[in-house]
Amino acid sequence: MIEPTPSRFRSAMRRLAFACALVCAAGAFSSTQAAPVILTETATTRAIAVDAVTKLRDPFPLNIPGHTVGANTRTRIMFFVLNLELLAGEGANALTAEAEDGAGRKYALPVENVMPVPGFGAVQQVIVRLSDDMGDVGDLLMRLNLHGVSSNRVRISVGHAGGGPPEDPGSVPAPAPATPPAATPTPTPNQYGPSSTTEADAVRFLEQASWGPTTAEVARVRASGLRAYLEQQFNQPLVTYPDYPLYPTDTALGCPSSTGQAVCLRDHYSMYPLQWKFFTLALDQRANSDQLRQRVSFALHQIFVVSGRDIPYAAWMSYYLQILDRRALGNFRDILQDITLNPAMGEYLNMRGNLRTNPNENYAREILQLFSIGTDELNLDGTPKLDAQGRRIPSYTQDTINNFARVFTGWNLAANKQTMINGALVNVFNYQDPMIVTREQNHDTAAKQLLNGVALPPNQSSSADLNAALDNIFNHPNVGPFIGRQLIQHLVTSNPSPAYVSRVARAFNNDCDALYTEDCTNVRGQMRAVVRAILLDPEARGDVKTDPNYGRLREPVQLITNVLRAFNATSDGVLASRTSASGGDLTNQLDQPLFLPTTVFSYYTPTYEVPGTGIQGPAFEILSTSTALRRANVVNTLLYNGVPVSQPNVPGGTQLNFTTFEQLASNPAQLIDALDALLMHRTLSQAARTAITNAVGSIPQTDANFARKRVQMAAYLIATSHQYQVQR
Amino acid sequence: MVSTRRDFLRQGACALVGGAALASGIRDFGLVHAFAQGGSPATDYKALVCIFLNGGNDGNNTVVPVDQTRFAEYTSVRASAGLALPAPGQAGGLLPVNPVSGGAYGFHPAMPELKTLFDNRQLAVVTNVGTLVEPLTRATYRSGTGRLPLQLFSHSDQIAQWQTSVSNDTSVTGWGGRTADRAAHLNGGASFPQVVSIAGTALFATGTTTRPIGISDARTPLASVLPLNNPPGASGYTTAQTNARRAAFDSLRGMDLNHTLVKASRDVTEHAIQTSIALANPPSGLPALPDFPNVTLGYQLEQVARLIQLRDALGIKRQIFFCQLGAFDTHSGQMAANAHSALLAQVSQAMKAFYDATMAMGVQNSVTTFTLSDFGRTLQPAGAGAAVGTDHGWGNHHFILGGAVRGGDFYGRFPTLALNGPDDTDTRGRWIPTTSVEQYAAALATWYGLAPSDIPLVFPFINRFPTANLGFMA
Repeated sequence: MIEPTPSRFRSAMRRLAFACALVCAAGAFSSTQAAPVILTETATTRAIAVDAVTKLRDPFPLNIPGHTVGANTRTRIMFFVLNLELLAGEGANALTAEAEDGAGRKYALPVENVMPVPGFGAVQQVIVRLSDDMGDVGDLLMRLNLHGVSSNRVRISVGHAGGGPPEDPGSVPAPAPATPPAATPTPTPNQYGPSSTTEADAVRFLEQASWGPTTAEVARVRASGLRAYLEQQFNQPLVTYPDYPLYPTDTALGCPSSTGQAVCLRDHYSMYPLQWKFFTLALDQRANSDQLRQRVSFALHQIFVVSGRDIPYAAWMSYYLQILDRRALGNFRDILQDITLNPAMGEYLNMRGNLRTNPNENYAREILQLFSIGTDELNLDGTPKLDAQGRRIPSYTQDTINNFARVFTGWNLAANKQTMINGALVNVFNYQDPMIVTREQNHDTAAKQLLNGVALPPNQSSSADLNAALDNIFNHPNVGPFIGRQLIQHLVTSNPSPAYVSRVARAFNNDCDALYTEDCTNVRGQMRAVVRAILLDPEARGDVKTDPNYGRLREPVQLITNVLRAFNATSDGVLASRTSASGGDLTNQLDQPLFLPTTVFSYYTPTYEVPGTGIQGPAFEILSTSTALRRANVVNTLLYNGVPVSQPNVPGGTQLNFTTFEQLASNPAQLIDALDALLMHRTLSQAARTAITNAVGSIPQTDANFARKRVQMAAYLIATSHQYQVQR
Repeated sequence: MVSTRRDFLRQGACALVGGAALASGIRDFGLVHAFAQGGSPATDYKALVCIFLNGGNDGNNTVVPVDQTRFAEYTSVRASAGLALPAPGQAGGLLPVNPVSGGAYGFHPAMPELKTLFDNRQLAVVTNVGTLVEPLTRATYRSGTGRLPLQLFSHSDQIAQWQTSVSNDTSVTGWGGRTADRAAHLNGGASFPQVVSIAGTALFATGTTTRPIGISDARTPLASVLPLNNPPGASGYTTAQTNARRAAFDSLRGMDLNHTLVKASRDVTEHAIQTSIALANPPSGLPALPDFPNVTLGYQLEQVARLIQLRDALGIKRQIFFCQLGAFDTHSGQMAANAHSALLAQVSQAMKAFYDATMAMGVQNSVTTFTLSDFGRTLQPAGAGAAVGTDHGWGNHHFILGGAVRGGDFYGRFPTLALNGPDDTDTRGRWIPTTSVEQYAAALATWYGLAPSDIPLVFPFINRFPTANLGFMA
């Protein structure tokens, strides 16, 4: 890190401060958040930037001459920035920087330092490092991003001057004001009280905190304010999966050959009843429906995976999903406890029946790697800790796994239950109640070495070992950033800034300085505090996010629910009319087969990097050539067909209601406005509006059903557009 | 002396590979590829077909030594828990194979088709191959002096490393994709993607410049693998209105591309539309293919065969395919009838059907099929009796099939089947690989048409190993 003396700063600033009357402070870039402004020369967009060591202007050399600074020899460049509204505790890890060369190639520039320029009011200096894969590229356009909001793009030269991308349309110089604006006090997080919520932010909030905005719910959020709305959601009574009857593993016993066998198999030996219930809950559009819990619970389902591929019994899975619903807004330690002893999980990851001889390592490995701490030691902000050689530090070894495998020995199913099938009581395995210690002799009683130097003494009971081991995992400092970052990715954005992750991790750690007062409970791992920190963070909130790397691909399940809810779908949740357990439902077509992920790694990997972009986009892992077109086809099916129902033994199907939009159909501009507001929080570009307007115009008002056809046309084009695929 | 820009780039990349900068240099690697491409289109056709056995196939029950000494070692560890396969000649016993270079082995009894292909010298086995950063011994492994792959025994990491060949870092490109990057010129101006996945998105298939396509298996005809549906008839749209919708759908893809993820989503769709157009009108009169088994891998390989059949119509000379079969993570119940043996039967039957199809098309010498998997599994059983299974291991045995394969033989060293023995990481029978994934892959990439100078660019650690070509390809 480079920290020149303040006197050198001042001299640099004096050399570079240009008289200018143009004020480029807050307001120049419309948003609920002020956009950072990188200062430029008076008449051009060339940045006032200096080599942080030599204080020379560009063109900058690629490497620091006579390099003496740390391991990386790349040149550091200092910019001067206004409107950098950093929160308390935020530093360089809140900012990202990106440059584009004349060939359109983009480079991430690590931001190494940010601090106020002494004596220059609100002006801050930001130091970035040239990226390792940059050559003698000539001119670049470079920007900073903070809290999802992008600065102006400014020009610098690397290697030589010239070339480079053309100016951005409408770009203007941003010279330093003659008198630097006074330093503003550090902003405090918005309290998000009543009447503080804009329509656009309410739409964005409901994309993050529910299964999709509806016109009515947007109004409710705006009426109560975000914070009160969240509190109301936190206090909704639990709505979850019913207690399905346990069925014997022998399908011939559970569904004896007779008429109705296919329906019986569907209802007891497949994920169908759960899929049905899932969509019923997700599409509940009544006021005060239990949406936030459902959304968080589904994120947890993708972290703590039990797949119906291996656990194909509806009842077994229902008791597992109930845990996620019950604990989604509770405490993380309880989640660990309950899933560890859940018999479906015990079956899925081979903890059930684990003996002291050759204990199975599967659960031991996955609870560490996937459910809690991950493979590398993490900083509070989720970035990997590095050793002196710059390498990642494993958070556990194979030996740790062996020790945890020995902890998880001795557990098995509680006593059998009975289920009434065809008028007779049948004994069934107990996949409902938590597993118990059936024979203490099956437990490995030797001492065990756990994480962070914690050792379990010998001769402890199965329960004592298990509780101590789960405490050990729960208290590992990785859990907050590891789980927090994934929850942010599931709800808000795929590439959160480390500063955002650290705020959420501090909420997990019950760091009261980072919490809303109501969350300061002196209890670690409170999911409400974590969810509140995620959803009310400045990086989550705002009308429009201009950071080009912001957002997340709508995962298939969410694409379906978002479209259905926007159009007030009446649905029992069944998205394909099926009379048997087989048959592709819509989520399966989009490679996110609901409750049937391929492996314990879920439907996609949290760290999946979108090819060619250098940034993460987990759900892109299941966006293939096939599923890209199927997404459009699923939207086509939903908007034009619904899901008709014509057979017995299937529920009532899915139908959309376009009435409110049909009333606008004679005026395409109003129709598109309304759709833009609800689906795109008013970010549809003028060019896109024109294309959609033209298509809508192909349906004359003389056409039978013109109103419905126009709504469908416009809705299809928006919901299939690449702009809509990304929630941002 | 630097003679050409291309040589310069190559030398630069090699220097990079040798240096400590590799961790941060993996991305640059691909950039070098993109800059340094050039050369003439190929005149012949060649295809590589990857079959990924997801979950970690138990190679210890797939290929078993059956000489008296080593079979006794095998049964001494696996028999009492009920995990050992019977000797050749016994009921349900191993199928004997005799490699050209010597030794007596048995294939799993569920694989008679692969035994026949081996006997006919169309199939080879590479033994104890696995993820490595550098050659290791039990001593260097256990003392910690050897550099190890990251996160051994972890599914996700080992799957990634088998597919990327980069074992000491996270790579965003796979070796199939990088091989395709280097071979792009061989396809001339063909617009059809060089790499096709029949099993969804796969890191293996992604290169720096290569973008794979993903299509459904053979249950969907090629002409309709990538449909874009029109408004349904009941919607009452006229042809003009349907066309207007499609025109707007297409024009929207040209707009608003400044946002990274939005553009990435758009790029996938654009690629799909272009591919859909290419597949929509196959030539008529293509001969029927032999039957494939109606199972996951059969459907996938049948679709591969159908695409190969279109090679001339698409004007394509080099193709890489990715298929995958799951459920190999046999922690328990491994010996059940529907478990490991059913999976291997599927592999054997589907590979045989695919080989027959290449014969029918006359391309059996131009198509090479090979297996990959997360890792091998512990020789020592996990559990016993009906619940018996195996845990995550490391080195494993793999199959290569095709007319260009020097078949009927084993390549590499076979591990000593002893717990706490010379090849074991510890005491459970996890084999320290004696052949690296990169050596295995480089032999395939070389056959595919990569120049010797390309090999270290695609496989960054290859020069740490004694040979870049194991010799199993003719």
